[in-house]
Amino acid sequence: MNPSINNIEEFQKKCQELREKVLQMCIKAGTGHVTSSFSCVEILAALYYTGILKYDPANPKWEDRDRFILSKGQASPLLYVLLADLGFCPKDSLNKFCCSDGLFGVHLQNDVPGVEMTAGSLGHGLGVGAGIALSSKMNNKSYKVFCVLGDGECYEGSIWESAMFVSHYNLTNLITIVDRNALCVTDYTEKIVHLDPLEEKFKSFGLNAISINGHSYDELMDTLDKAMNSDKPTIIIANTIKGKGIPFMENKPLWHGLAPQGEDAERAIKELTGKGE
Amino acid sequence: MEKISMRDAFFDELYKIAKKDKDVILISADMGAPSLDKYRADLKDQFINVGIAEQSMATLATGLALNGKKVYTYAIMTFVIARCWELIRCDFSLMKLPITSVGVGAGFSYDDSGPTHHSTDDITLSRVLPNMTIFNASDSAMAANLAELSYNNNNPCYVRLDRALQPLIYSEKDDYSTGINHLKKGKDITLIATGNMVHRAMEVAEKLSASGIETGVVDLFRIKPLNESVLKEILINSNKVATLEEHFLIGGLGSAVGEFILDSNLNTPLKRFGIKDKFYYAYGGRDNILSLCGLSIDTITKEITQWLGK
Repeated sequence: MNPSINNIEEFQKKCQELREKVLQMCIKAGTGHVTSSFSCVEILAALYYTGILKYDPANPKWEDRDRFILSKGQASPLLYVLLADLGFCPKDSLNKFCCSDGLFGVHLQNDVPGVEMTAGSLGHGLGVGAGIALSSKMNNKSYKVFCVLGDGECYEGSIWESAMFVSHYNLTNLITIVDRNALCVTDYTEKIVHLDPLEEKFKSFGLNAISINGHSYDELMDTLDKAMNSDKPTIIIANTIKGKGIPFMENKPLWHGLAPQGEDAERAIKELTGKGE
Repeated sequence: MEKISMRDAFFDELYKIAKKDKDVILISADMGAPSLDKYRADLKDQFINVGIAEQSMATLATGLALNGKKVYTYAIMTFVIARCWELIRCDFSLMKLPITSVGVGAGFSYDDSGPTHHSTDDITLSRVLPNMTIFNASDSAMAANLAELSYNNNNPCYVRLDRALQPLIYSEKDDYSTGINHLKKGKDITLIATGNMVHRAMEVAEKLSASGIETGVVDLFRIKPLNESVLKEILINSNKVATLEEHFLIGGLGSAVGEFILDSNLNTPLKRFGIKDKFYYAYGGRDNILSLCGLSIDTITKEITQWLGK
């Protein structure tokens, strides 16, 4: 039976658990995009733990499953932790993250049960999601496709080519969420090249674009529900904090792509859990 | 068949395949063809025009293929691979998806359109990708068969079609499964050619033969994976070999054959004819451009004759 959390307390508890597991896994491996994973915890938790996504861990290729595309493949630690937690892959596979005898590494690979698309390069997911959504309509299927993009990923022209396509073909069964943490690798997005006004940009491309607090259970649930019943393809701009949960790592470019080590690791654990190691 | 272009021959066959299999989807980046008019009319649910948006085409193809569709992408050759190469790399190649990219305009097919439309580097770009099968058609009978060959191939494929009407070498009933065809045997030198240059090789062979040089001709139309056993046999039994391609020398057919000779520890002397490291802004038709880059029949004949010391 898949989890179906329906209250904020349980939801926040699950999000905390996911963050702790991601941190633990990445510290042990000495690598992994911790802050990129942390900004979208609530988004993925909303999809996988509240009954929104239809899936079967015992049958990852179940034909009528909803599809989830993690286009920002650097958040793979989060997805792997979540898939292990739900039973798609063995829980102890997390101990072998980035190990020679492990199942997976820093970016996303689609031979891991539950992973739909290999990702690591950026700008692919929206178009791939469009292809899956379109084929779903071709086959008269009713499953949905959810796609999470990074906001830095929206610099890629391929995203905008696909956005035009999604709008033109009115792929209402494709729901996209942008993890808008306002940071790239080197700097804040608005200091590099303006992405804002991002919502207006997507709206001008014909999409139903909505901005929300990406860490809010209520806003995520409400908006996802509306998105699944919209007569236009929806893109949710989820405003988030990169590294949310570990204050000294929050919203700092230099923490992109890194797992804290040594004293930083101890500090990260303490700030996240309120306890020592 | 001789009056049908490679492109129309290919799509006529693909139409028949797609009519029987609803999972065959053709995506075009705003490129048409007379043969596609019927496809679009009769199979409109199996045809998508994405506009001049090759990245959209590639990612859309990926999503469709991940969901069980057999997908074809189609554009002018210079754009179908190069413009969306990274997406083909990470999606088609890395995930080993059954997607066939079809390009029209091999070599200098688009002659007077200039180097933006000269497809002279795409073999290099596609050959370097793991899991990729590359076909280079030399006539319309072969082109027609490549529709079936690519349909039955569950790996990413790349089909190169010439724009010009080429003389027929083959019939539809020929066996194309080997990827290589020893068209003519000759004891002094074997010319291994691909695409348009197969026809040039036949003409060069005729001229060389007239001067007493017995010349063989091989059509190497599946550039990847190479048919290593047949190629090895040809190389071992050839006194000397010359490759002919309407493509940059860096990374094309000649490179593939040269690499194979080295890796197989063969001693076959090899001379490579192709386009040196340069773009050509030249007009007056394809033959004029070929002459400028040293690929005229007379130049090739002369250089081979000198090489053989005759």
